[in-house]
Amino acid sequence: MELEYGARSDTGCVRENNEDSYRASPEMQLFILSDGMGGLECGEVASRIAVDTILEHCRRADLNPSLPLTGGRLDGVCDATNRLASAVRVANSAVYSAAQGSAQGRAMGATVVAVRFVGERMSLAHVGDSRAYRLRGDDFEQLTRDHSFVAEQMRQGRMTVQQAGSSRLQNVLVRALGIDPSVEVDTSEELVLDTDTVLLCSDGVTRELSDAQITAVLQETEEAQEAADRVVDLAKQAGGEDNITAIVLRPAARPVGAFGRLGKWLKDSA
Amino acid sequence: MPKLVLKFENSVLKEVPVGTNEVSIGRSPENGIMIDNPAVSHFHARVFNEDGRLMLEDFGSLNGTFVNGQRVKMVTLKAGDSVGIGKHTIVISESRDLDGFAVGSGKPAQAAPKLNETVMLDTKERREFLQKVAAVGESAQVAPARLKVPTLVVRSGRTDRREYMLNDKLTVIGKSAMATVKLKSWFAPKAAAQINRRDDQSYYIGAADKVPCVNGNPITQPTQLFPGDVIEVAGIQLEFVYRD
Repeated sequence: MELEYGARSDTGCVRENNEDSYRASPEMQLFILSDGMGGLECGEVASRIAVDTILEHCRRADLNPSLPLTGGRLDGVCDATNRLASAVRVANSAVYSAAQGSAQGRAMGATVVAVRFVGERMSLAHVGDSRAYRLRGDDFEQLTRDHSFVAEQMRQGRMTVQQAGSSRLQNVLVRALGIDPSVEVDTSEELVLDTDTVLLCSDGVTRELSDAQITAVLQETEEAQEAADRVVDLAKQAGGEDNITAIVLRPAARPVGAFGRLGKWLKDSA
Repeated sequence: MPKLVLKFENSVLKEVPVGTNEVSIGRSPENGIMIDNPAVSHFHARVFNEDGRLMLEDFGSLNGTFVNGQRVKMVTLKAGDSVGIGKHTIVISESRDLDGFAVGSGKPAQAAPKLNETVMLDTKERREFLQKVAAVGESAQVAPARLKVPTLVVRSGRTDRREYMLNDKLTVIGKSAMATVKLKSWFAPKAAAQINRRDDQSYYIGAADKVPCVNGNPITQPTQLFPGDVIEVAGIQLEFVYRD
């Protein structure tokens, strides 16, 4: 499946440095986003280590498919998903080692969300509160579940959406890369339709914009890069309190207009 | 402020602080602590503050309320007391406030994280928290989901098999090569619908090229499946069941 992608990262209006990092590899159909945390420049370092390590692990596995999986094999998911989870675990070790070795000691961590497309299947791995969304028709669905204190409380039924939205503890994570020697990685697999749009974003987007605002941008824009730019610009206009990063992914075979759809229909039925 | 810690066989299910308002305990959902067990009365007992003392009163329940093994009607509670109701235990503990819990060991640098700055829970607190979450997850798990295999049974329509075990995180219904439930009819879509298994072992069905119906209603968003649910999509009818 051909993919069109657009990506942009911005420091925002309040912070002095950008602790978000992303990597896009269209040839590998691999897209990675990470939000770093830690004092001084540790957040930037942590997120950069995370995205580079994941890219490198997947690249090496492509060259050498017998490269061992770090942290064992998961049941019920395909090889690509297992490889992605393995890459995230390697990234955890890399950030953890860097944190141990740094002068600030332990004051370094990162979230990550990574997707890889193989055929019609998208593999997804994540840790922390950076998110993946899918827009399918009018249905805008969050594909990841935040590893944050308030999200866990809501899942346990101990907090309402309103309480979570106003909580002072919104920024507290319960899982991140670089905190412990090993980490549990959430994985999932998704079917990709020609008409889907996938969005990866850091919390600088979702703290500023509602689902409806993001949906509108994704529906109104033609090009993936234009969509990523507009998401970031809107989040900045809304306050831009945190770093803002968005990656927009669309199958390139998007049929446009009535003739495009007719052509697609003829092709599909042939 | 003292808090009530509801336990079942060493798992902490819930923690409720007792402030100026009383906390009622019983099988009915209106209670501050609900215990869904037939051995527990609908309104079984209450815990409340009186003149700075923590009191427990049994509402004349059928199976009784026990403090440290003794059946009681009305007693004063102290930290460490163990209240038995049915097979559940409520332990009285002195509570720390949420701020202490969230920012961990109270180091000055961590005590006031800037708003919006992402932080981690202190490692020890986080482990306790995660253990607590895991304990709740386990006790809330429905038994059949663990012992039995979630399965789609074909009730009608043309498919390549009559039953499909849902072993994978992603199950696609359609004509596509990656589909598990393969549709045989000529005009079937490549991908009619998809079923995702989440990490808590729940199953959600979502629309793809078609919008499936669950129990006769078209879904408007990914919808959790329960045993006995009937799915209709692209001319086939499937039932979601747990098989031995």
